Amino acid sequence: MAPNSRKRKAVNRDSTPDNDSEEDLADGLEGILSHSEDESEDSQDEDVGSGDESEEDTFSEDEVDEDMESGTDLFDAEVDIREQMRNLEATEGTPRKESSQLIHEPDSHTEADDELKLGYEGEELLHNYTVTTDANGNPRYLYKEIDPVYNSDDSDAQEATNTIGNIPLSYYNAYPHIGYDINGKKIMRPAKGEALDALLESIDIPEGWTGLTDPATGKPLQLTGEELDVLKKITRNEILEEGYDPYPEMVHYFSGKEEIMPLSAAPEPKRRFVPSKHEAKRVMKIVKAIREGRIQPYKPPVEEEGEEKDIYNYDIWANEVPRPEHSMHIAAPKLPPPTYDQSYHPPPEYLPDKEEKKAWEEVDEEDREKEYLPTSYDALRKVPGYGRFVKEKFERCLDLYLAPRVRRNRLNIDPESLLPKLPSPEELKPFPTTCAAVFRGHEGRVRSISIDPWGYFLASGGDDGVVRIWELLTGRQLWSVKLSDEDAVDAVSWRPGKESTILAAAAGENIYLIVPFAILSPDVEQSSRDLLDTGWGYAASKPTATNGVTTKEPPARWSRPGIRLEDKGVLVQIAVRSSVKAISWHRKGEYFTTISPRGQSTAVAIHALSKHLTQLPFRRLKGLAQSAQFHPSKPIFFVATKNSIRSYDLAKQELVKILQPGAKWISSFDVHPGGDNLIVGTYDKRLLWHDLDLSTKPYKTLRYHQEAIRAVAFHQGGLPLFADASDDGSLQIFHGRVVQDLMENATIVPLKVLRGHQVKSRLGVMDVDWHPREPWCASAGADGTCRLWN
Amino acid sequence: MGRIKKKGTSGAAKNYISRTRAVKKLQISLPDFRRLCIFKGIYPREPRNKKKVSKGSTTNTTYYYTKDIQYLLHEPLLAKFREHKAVAKKIGRALGRGEVGDAARLEKNLIPKIKLDHIIKERYPTFVDALRDLDDALSMLFLFANLPSSQHIPAKTITLCQRLCHEFEHYVIISHSLRKSFLSIKGIYYQATIQGQDIMWLVPYRFVQRTAGDIDFRIMGTFVEFYTTLLGFVNYRLYTSFGLVYPPKFDKKADEEGAELAAFQLQGKTISGAEAATNGKVPDAATSAKAQAEVDKLTASENVEDEAEETSTALVQVDEEGNTDVIDKFETTAQDADVLPQPQASSAEIASLFAPFTFYLSRETPRAPLEFILKAFGCKRVGWDGVLGEGAFTTKESDSSITHQIIDRPALPSGALSEVPDVPETVNGGAAPPKAQWPRSTMPGRTYVQPQWVWDCINQGKLLRPDLYAPGAELPPHLSPWVKPKKGEYDPTLPLEQQEPVGEAESFEEEEIEEEEEASDADDALAVDGKGMNIDAIVDRDSSVEAGEGMDVMSNDDDEDEDDDENEPIDDDWEGFESEAESEVSDTEVARRQHQHELEAEAAGVEPENKTLSAKEKKAEIRKKAEKKKLQEAEERERLKMMLPQRKRKLLKRIEHGTEKRDKEAENLRKKRRRIEKAREAANAL
Repeated sequence: MAPNSRKRKAVNRDSTPDNDSEEDLADGLEGILSHSEDESEDSQDEDVGSGDESEEDTFSEDEVDEDMESGTDLFDAEVDIREQMRNLEATEGTPRKESSQLIHEPDSHTEADDELKLGYEGEELLHNYTVTTDANGNPRYLYKEIDPVYNSDDSDAQEATNTIGNIPLSYYNAYPHIGYDINGKKIMRPAKGEALDALLESIDIPEGWTGLTDPATGKPLQLTGEELDVLKKITRNEILEEGYDPYPEMVHYFSGKEEIMPLSAAPEPKRRFVPSKHEAKRVMKIVKAIREGRIQPYKPPVEEEGEEKDIYNYDIWANEVPRPEHSMHIAAPKLPPPTYDQSYHPPPEYLPDKEEKKAWEEVDEEDREKEYLPTSYDALRKVPGYGRFVKEKFERCLDLYLAPRVRRNRLNIDPESLLPKLPSPEELKPFPTTCAAVFRGHEGRVRSISIDPWGYFLASGGDDGVVRIWELLTGRQLWSVKLSDEDAVDAVSWRPGKESTILAAAAGENIYLIVPFAILSPDVEQSSRDLLDTGWGYAASKPTATNGVTTKEPPARWSRPGIRLEDKGVLVQIAVRSSVKAISWHRKGEYFTTISPRGQSTAVAIHALSKHLTQLPFRRLKGLAQSAQFHPSKPIFFVATKNSIRSYDLAKQELVKILQPGAKWISSFDVHPGGDNLIVGTYDKRLLWHDLDLSTKPYKTLRYHQEAIRAVAFHQGGLPLFADASDDGSLQIFHGRVVQDLMENATIVPLKVLRGHQVKSRLGVMDVDWHPREPWCASAGADGTCRLWN
Repeated sequence: MGRIKKKGTSGAAKNYISRTRAVKKLQISLPDFRRLCIFKGIYPREPRNKKKVSKGSTTNTTYYYTKDIQYLLHEPLLAKFREHKAVAKKIGRALGRGEVGDAARLEKNLIPKIKLDHIIKERYPTFVDALRDLDDALSMLFLFANLPSSQHIPAKTITLCQRLCHEFEHYVIISHSLRKSFLSIKGIYYQATIQGQDIMWLVPYRFVQRTAGDIDFRIMGTFVEFYTTLLGFVNYRLYTSFGLVYPPKFDKKADEEGAELAAFQLQGKTISGAEAATNGKVPDAATSAKAQAEVDKLTASENVEDEAEETSTALVQVDEEGNTDVIDKFETTAQDADVLPQPQASSAEIASLFAPFTFYLSRETPRAPLEFILKAFGCKRVGWDGVLGEGAFTTKESDSSITHQIIDRPALPSGALSEVPDVPETVNGGAAPPKAQWPRSTMPGRTYVQPQWVWDCINQGKLLRPDLYAPGAELPPHLSPWVKPKKGEYDPTLPLEQQEPVGEAESFEEEEIEEEEEASDADDALAVDGKGMNIDAIVDRDSSVEAGEGMDVMSNDDDEDEDDDENEPIDDDWEGFESEAESEVSDTEVARRQHQHELEAEAAGVEPENKTLSAKEKKAEIRKKAEKKKLQEAEERERLKMMLPQRKRKLLKRIEHGTEKRDKEAENLRKKRRRIEKAREAANAL
């Protein structure tokens, strides 16, 4: 602060170099004034001023050099100039009341005085107007601007007041002035801040000084000693009044001490001595109530348990309906089963050695790979409780409801986990287990059997050339016909469909369509006859229309078999070129196919029932045809040759697929009712399961038989069963469940070996067929019997 | 042209909802939300693309599936929660006014009762679903059944848990559905198969559980509330489907005396009541429930005979039916066929494993698990010491019908035994039958085994040799029945030779030898240190003779060099080379050197001694071969890996990481076992 003030002084001196004479005078004046107040101060000032001459010089040089100097000097200079200007303005604008203000700025005051003197001199010297002529030629007095000097106004010079009215002074914060005086001149802000502080430091604080600014005038506020006292009291929350005692001594009016003169002279009332009647009344009331039992003295609370007992008193899953699994649902993973090292007495190699133990103990509890340390106890009684048990269960709880679940693809998928879980034995039931009926009557082998679509009859054909129909449940023979003397009946097959009952039987080169009307109800008989009779005209009319262009022999001749057979119910005879070994119907019953392995181009024939027409779909077939089947739902036709199975699309007439079972000689095959799976039996003792979606190679190869497999059959009525018949005299029953899901393979479980047929000349069971609904199957044996199993 | 789709209006952004938003949507408090989630089985999800869901913010948030939360909006429990909240407010107000009676009344009458039936049905639409999820429920309830009641766990809950657990155990016993059990350090694991579902649960040992630490019993309590309801309904279904009356008769008095399982008395359905009475299993539980301690020996033996007859007739029946009703065993006739697995109909076997025996549990054995397991595997007569509680078949240890006694005490030394037995006999006098107390005297015809025998028997499904488990004998290791041997993993049941890769044993032996040698070498070095001059000379000579040998060789040579002075120099060289250099030098080098040495030996006129070395050499060769093969394979693999694209290589790396870890673990175990076996051999030799 000190250097600033010094500089200012120096500048002041610089600013008034011209009127030296006045300065002298002023110096003198100032000297008087200042000396009157504070002599020592001034002398000090003087000293400092003289000492500062050199500094001052350098400063002025700096000003000349302008910007050669360091920033601080420049800054100082700037501040100086600004301050000086302000001072000048302030003193110019507001002629001050000397008595109050002199203390603050002795220097500036002297300057103001100088100027005042100048003003005096000017007034005395000059006129205050000039005369000119105006536009009309009249003289015009042009008055000079009134210089509002001290004695320009003769009215009582009022104290300069701020005219801004009742607004806060803070509005003028941004301006150098703080308002306007009566003349509209700006009232400049009195000097403030650092310069002022420096000065204040150098002088005594006057009496009554507060350091506050009077908002009305912008000048420092002064208070008297009494006023300050009052303020002090207010700040201390004291009462302003003189001589007030806030804490007077307490007077105990009502004390334990008995005074000579009591406050009241009234005698003690009677009620103080007599027991209360009202209370007695109330007590008696309660006593009475207790005696009467209206009020129980204390009753311990009784816990009600009645509700809890009947919580689980009904079967919540009484009518359960499985809900399809939601794709977004992820079941909580089960906890893994314990490993060897969790045993209370594990093999010694699982116990950690010292290093491992130490490493385990050092690792933080949360970072441990295993939360336990394998320990061995040589007896069960030594096993202690597991300290973390509750904690682990709690963590499991947290995992269950707090942990986000994500489906992750495991990289090393355990192949065992992909294996389907085996169904339980109860679930596999029902399946045939015992021989329920034996059908005796055939002489020689029974070649083929078939159960009718209703499940009432069993048809069988054997080496004796007789077709017999049996009642399935009892084993009684109902009907028979001898078709041929020399040829065996190789195949019998009922037509599917329940509205009619037609049996197709093949003996040698002839196929017979039979309606055994003796055992049928009349309307079924009629509808069956109608079915067979519709085609008679058709077959005859067709060739005549083409007028015998085809000289070829027709593939088959449809004719009536003759009166003997017709009387029995054999209505149609179809003669083909070579002997027929197998018959298989289309599911609708309109078509059936016959296989005659020896006929080269006529090996496979498809017969249309309603048109009495026979077609040969293959001109030449590779290999020996063994069997043929229609696809249960699609227009696809399977033909088995000696060692492959081909499927043909009948609509497009093209080859779809060739299955390679890898067998040497296929004996028979059957199509799963779903249509996507095949079972194949072979003479080389193998049973093969083919999944058509999977591959052309068999999905499973089963070798459970000692001898060749003659026949295989799926249950067509919805049960997941299939059976095979072998020359070792046994039938084997399998569970074969096919799931619609493409991801899951079929599950095959061997169930039962049915023995009973005798092996004759190395032939055992010749054919097998399932009941259309029940888990029953029938088999034809080389010993001349048929058996029903259930 | 369609309108441009706004971002964040469909797909992942809409499918997931943060927890805060979910709570806000449901307008319930966070604890209520937690309870609701536990009851309904709703859990947070991890969205596949988190960025899309969080709309760019990277804070770690839990997300729920929006539809789950939407379903919650219609949950009847939500209304109950709100009701509860209102009542709680009223109670709070009453308490604030100091009206305690009012508060109690409000609490008694107005607090809504929460029923979880509909949630059970909803979460488990079929019974099998419920069974599948029973693992956690059972473990939890068995834990709570063993906990003491406290402020957070009311005694009522605990008794309910105990009741449900015992009921479930009873079902497992009568349906013979227990399959496996395992004694682990954590507790006892059980596995039952009910309706094709494997249910595994863990029961803690009966000690005071440590419940300190940051365990929130409110959460566990919520789970227990749900699980008790679930198990209650499951029990009902199981009992009724088995033809039993569901809440079985509960004898409170017996329960207080520690009868546990025997406090329950199962009853057949009313219609077939007469049939049930003769059924065998069910009334047997009833008689044992009564458990008169004064049952005569005679009656007991009669009983036994009856039972034996019954079982024999049952067996005959089974035999008769066996031809027809049971699945036949199929055996393949040729090698190239696939073998189809067949389910084992083992229920009958399980029912008859312990059927002919009478067990007696000494007082130091854990009674509850043994009783449960023995009964589940067909044993009908289990007796125990009177201190173990009510409900025993017999509490007399001297009962002559007892065939097996389970003992978990060490055998006393013979001296200690001889002193004691006189005293009790004199005390008993002539009138009382002589008491057969185990360590002092053994009953003829009775088998004494340790508890582990029972567990190992049921896990293997057959009776094991009891002498291995005799009291005081060192038990065979107890193995977990659920670990299936996997390829490349260590299997403690197989001998080492079957599972170790080629060359591992040899390398192990060499290592051992080396270690031993190192140890001995250190000693040698110390001993030799006195004659420093000698060593220096030796080292010098060594390095000059055999180039390419490492620095570590020198100490190894000391002993040989010491006798170097006495022996022929050539032979000594040979020895030294053979013992150390194989690992470093390549095969060709070896061959070359061997040849050279032979030549040298020939020149010296000495036959090289191959006989003594042959065994060692052979081993080294085997090892070397194995190493070489391994190296080649690794190289080949590396080369193949180079061909792979980056992505697949990474995948392979990840897979390999797993297998490598597994292999390392297995190797470590094998090594330990080898060491143990060797130590044992050494001990035996001594």
